Amino acid sequence: MTIAILPARLANQIAAGEVVERPASVIKELIENSLDAGATFINIDVDKGGIKKIKITDNGHGIVKEELALALSRHATSKIKDLNDLEAINSLGFRGEALASISSVARLTLTSKPKSQPTAWQAVAEGRDMTVDIKPAAHPDGTSIEVLDLFFNTPARRKFLRTEKTEFNHIDEVIRRIALAHFEVSFTLTHNGNIVRQYRSANTQAQCTKRVAAVCGPKFIEHALEVDCPHDSMKLSGWLAKPSFARSQNDLSYSYVNGRMMRDKLINHAIRQAYADLLPADTFPAFVLFLELDHREVDVNVHPSKHEVRFHQSRYVHDFIYSVCHKALSSAMAGEGLFDSQSNDMALVQEQSYTTEQLQTNSNTAREGDLSTNYPRADYPRADYIKPLQHVREVSNSPAMPGYSNESQPYNRKTVSKAATTNYQALMTPYSEESKVDTSSANMTHPKSQQSAQELYTVPSNAKPSLLLSIEKPGYALYKAQGGCRVLSLFNLAKEIYSNLVAQSWQSKNEETAVEGLVSQPLLLPVIIHLSDEQLAIALTAQPLMEKAGIIFVEQSKNKIQVRQFPALLREQDVSNALTVILDNFISIVSDKYNNNDDQLVEIDCYQSIGLAMVLPEYDELQADILLKQAKNIFNEQITQQLLLNSVPLDLTSHIKQLL
Amino acid sequence: MNIPSSEQELINRATNLAGLTLGEIAEQAGIAVPKDLTRNKGWIGLLLEHVLGASASSRPEPDFPHLGIELKTLPINEQAKPLETTFVSVAPLTGLVGINWHNCYVRKKLARVLWVPIITDKAAPISERLVGTPFLWSPNAEEEALLAQDWQELTDMIVLGEVENIHGKHGQVMQLRPKAANSKAKTQAFDKKGKPFMTLPRGFYLKINFTQGLLHRYLRIN
Repeated sequence: MTIAILPARLANQIAAGEVVERPASVIKELIENSLDAGATFINIDVDKGGIKKIKITDNGHGIVKEELALALSRHATSKIKDLNDLEAINSLGFRGEALASISSVARLTLTSKPKSQPTAWQAVAEGRDMTVDIKPAAHPDGTSIEVLDLFFNTPARRKFLRTEKTEFNHIDEVIRRIALAHFEVSFTLTHNGNIVRQYRSANTQAQCTKRVAAVCGPKFIEHALEVDCPHDSMKLSGWLAKPSFARSQNDLSYSYVNGRMMRDKLINHAIRQAYADLLPADTFPAFVLFLELDHREVDVNVHPSKHEVRFHQSRYVHDFIYSVCHKALSSAMAGEGLFDSQSNDMALVQEQSYTTEQLQTNSNTAREGDLSTNYPRADYPRADYIKPLQHVREVSNSPAMPGYSNESQPYNRKTVSKAATTNYQALMTPYSEESKVDTSSANMTHPKSQQSAQELYTVPSNAKPSLLLSIEKPGYALYKAQGGCRVLSLFNLAKEIYSNLVAQSWQSKNEETAVEGLVSQPLLLPVIIHLSDEQLAIALTAQPLMEKAGIIFVEQSKNKIQVRQFPALLREQDVSNALTVILDNFISIVSDKYNNNDDQLVEIDCYQSIGLAMVLPEYDELQADILLKQAKNIFNEQITQQLLLNSVPLDLTSHIKQLL
Repeated sequence: MNIPSSEQELINRATNLAGLTLGEIAEQAGIAVPKDLTRNKGWIGLLLEHVLGASASSRPEPDFPHLGIELKTLPINEQAKPLETTFVSVAPLTGLVGINWHNCYVRKKLARVLWVPIITDKAAPISERLVGTPFLWSPNAEEEALLAQDWQELTDMIVLGEVENIHGKHGQVMQLRPKAANSKAKTQAFDKKGKPFMTLPRGFYLKINFTQGLLHRYLRIN
């Protein structure tokens, strides 16, 4: 099979499959065209149920000769011009398909005379490419469309047609539906030469009622309640039958949105719900209801036949229809005592799309005014439903939560956990088993050295050979310096790095609390640690300092403390090991100081001790590399110096001697 | 039990429970531990409410009405993963005209929550379950947006008669589920065509990934 563009007629026939189902659908399309053309008089002439002939004559503004050809081609319309028009459709049609589709499955003749044009012209589309032939004709102001032999060239479709009578009933139904929506237009329906229906134009309320009676039967009007309720930019009007007029068939349910007839689930749902238990099982309500709302609030471009629409604020519309109908019914029933006088004031609220920014502004306004009733008609952005999806993430492993560290956060919490959580985001482990974690943490902890961190990351370890020649476990490395090879103590380097790191994060003031110290994190389960007498003593003396460092504990019983919060920096370390290291280091510091007659622990001791707790027991190559990167981050240019300080030159003299 | 007078007092009390087993807490309070929770759903919550001095036994109020704080226990496993979704409130299926996120019950319920993680080993007896460190939470802007969207979507479906079609997959952080006390208790709702019918009562539940996210953000999992 090769790929080829379909001939115009075939393409139109395919499109016709969606719209042209039976003679009644042809008539619907054509009458809607007449109505869009501003006709006040529409004559429908049908032969043999519309299968043989359909002729619609109107007195609308007509089509000028030059546009006749275009009128018959597909995707040609006068009703919309650009996408903006599609957002707010105020005509019945807009797709520009009806005439082309119909003329592809029937013999269609279009005759038209605009008022300004002296003569009428006639157009016929023929052949495979549907070329349009135009010739002069006789016609009064307005347009006539004659459709002969529907489905003459699509036998498959013809098979679906029912008897002449059935098809005519469908046509009759279409006319009834349309007649209800356009009181100002007169309709005449002729079948096989006999006038079957005649609806005169109705301009007064009484005339309108008369037309409703003519269409729906006088019984309906007798039992109907008239509704007319504007609310905001919406209006619901029409007639609603009392429950006593319940129908066993769903044949008297006419709903219209902006003059367009509907079979919309949402509307029917709201109306049925208003009747609630008043209707016997398996019966249907009868109604003729017109909903009018801003054209921009409703999307008609859902289905080619336009029986369904989408409301931008579906629940709002639903609740509005429900409330109006319910109110009407309950006030009518009040005398009969059927309804409990449920107060159902129109506490309608507009639907919102809840985005982060929106909520913040809204919650402010909502607090001021009455929540439910006069909710401010905010300029709510729509189609925003999609946007917030971007925020979705696995909350647990997101490295940073935007909006969390946000200053505009409306909630103020005094507790420590607040500080912990807000800043916790900004802190991550100083190192990890995996190398990938590193840049983010570096970025977070040293915003100033961001650039260098970036550089480090962009230079993968395999591109540039590691500075370290080899690693001697547990924590020594051989590296090449200017004066020759040196042995580096990774432990000492790590101590240096980490105490600097701790010092940095200690001093970088927490913006919200403006308190110096380390970000602390509550433990899911408090850890109970046994301490020696000496450890306990130092822990208790150093408690205020340790609290600043984010280590929060309570003394439990003899030589036992319960640790509740721990510095976020020590996230990777075991709580009890780390604490023991810290306390033991405190002890040795104090004893050192004791000799100098100054046994006060100060913050700098804390940096050192916590840094010590972060040192790994053993370094492999990957960890050593990470350590080196951190060193570059922290010390920048001084890194060489730091490496020298923590290393000794490799003395190869004895080795060389052996080789001699 | 005396009612905590301030938020800080409540936090302190709750923090003091951290690390204790339910058995220890019950013993201190003089309450018997049930054998299993199938017939005693919510016992853990009741125990903690009792111990912390919650006053509102009536439903529609927060557990600590004067503080506006709701108490929620969160059963988690040893890896700190919540074991079940968290019940928020019963979902009304009728009378939703005029209800929006700002005046809905779910939002009130979640305005301020004291989460108490309960480390639960399903194999071990109830008395051995450990109480974790509690934390106070209010939804931040992002969390509230997520909750509001889910609430909006689910409520729209209820109103438009789609109750029966809602299943656990609807909603990113909050879902609607039958509140299954038993299958006989039914409540009124409206079906697709707008006719009233009887169905199981529903409740709003927070999904596991949401509560897990809170847990991991607020606490160090050790």
